[in-house]
Amino acid sequence: MALPLPPGLTPPEIAFLCEMELVTVIPRQRLEGLDLLGGRTPPLHPPQRANLPLWLALLLKRQRRANILPPPWLSPPALAAILELESTAHAAAPPRLPLAPPGILPISPPFLPSSTADAPRDALPYHWLELGEILLEAASDDFEDPDAVRRLMRDLREVRMANMRKGVEVFDAQGGLSMTGFGGMEVAEGRAFIGGVIDGLRKIGAARERSGDGDQDDQDNGFPSTADDYDDEMDM
Amino acid sequence: MSYYDIDAILTDAQKVPCTFELTVPGLGFLDGNMDGDMKKDSKVELPIWLGEMLSLSEMMNTDSLVTLSIPSALGPRVFNALKADPRTVDLRALASHFYNLATRLLEMYVEDINKSEEQEMIRVLSETFKARAAVIADQANNVRGTLGEGADFLRGLDENERQLFRAAHDSAKSVRAWVAEGMKKK
Repeated sequence: MALPLPPGLTPPEIAFLCEMELVTVIPRQRLEGLDLLGGRTPPLHPPQRANLPLWLALLLKRQRRANILPPPWLSPPALAAILELESTAHAAAPPRLPLAPPGILPISPPFLPSSTADAPRDALPYHWLELGEILLEAASDDFEDPDAVRRLMRDLREVRMANMRKGVEVFDAQGGLSMTGFGGMEVAEGRAFIGGVIDGLRKIGAARERSGDGDQDDQDNGFPSTADDYDDEMDM
Repeated sequence: MSYYDIDAILTDAQKVPCTFELTVPGLGFLDGNMDGDMKKDSKVELPIWLGEMLSLSEMMNTDSLVTLSIPSALGPRVFNALKADPRTVDLRALASHFYNLATRLLEMYVEDINKSEEQEMIRVLSETFKARAAVIADQANNVRGTLGEGADFLRGLDENERQLFRAAHDSAKSVRAWVAEGMKKK
């Protein structure tokens, strides 16, 4: 109990990580490329679009030197289509994420251009919730219809969280829950609860293993011999 | 189960029915009989920590001093109710650490449970926990639910479930706080 924070990342930390995402800006002023730790940013020439990290784009936006172009999936029709898919899909079906282009190794979201103007419009990237909230807050005048986007984002979040909670009832035999397709903020929100459920089930199941012969129990118990390794992690 | 875990201590303080197999001189105070002896075959409710130790004495090649039986909180009536609908049972009224009590007793040797009953109990407990956890998550994310129709259900949560509710509620709250903070900065 040394750390007052629960395990995992807090929402502000996730939002900070999200600022690494590339977004497309339309500059209003010229700016030469900047040599940053993450590499050289593209030079900005006013009518041409350029991809910048979100934090730099926000900075330029606040100084009125650039406009941010919202990613395609953050438009009302695209969000409405995804919402439709989420609410009709089977509870266990994971929401879709854009795949890495074929041929290269799957790379993690900050380096995947999943939020630029040419991102796919029919899937949500890992940082969709954070990016959407940040853009709506800092650059709502760059949206065509910010209120509709805001409303759809809220609906989508509700539906996806409800789907995640439904997953608890159908825990599979491995005692795990597939979190494929859930965004960073959603994982953070579900972490304490899902971890708590698994831990509780593990305690109930552990009584059986200790009480008697464990050989035939492993199958229907749902908690194979890895339960002890898991225990060590959870106690930390 | 840690030495300093207050929930483990409280679990151990819950009572289980014990039957004495021997007459023990001077132990009558356990049964409210101040100066008398504890008679053979008398039934007393003892805390788990005491009952466990007394029932373990068969290790020393003597007859066990007491035999444990199942407390009413884990009796067949409760389990039938849980099988019918886990959501409507008030676990807290039965035992404040219901799941801990159940697992604790399953670890020990209890007279009137055999292997297949034990398997069945664990299965029902897991199903109950899962079904109730889903409702807990819904309630934790629904502010009105905690005050309105959900209040009765939430009052019946056992201590593990309360912690679960708190965890789900706190993480939802921290995300909401982050969103609200962004709005304020604007």
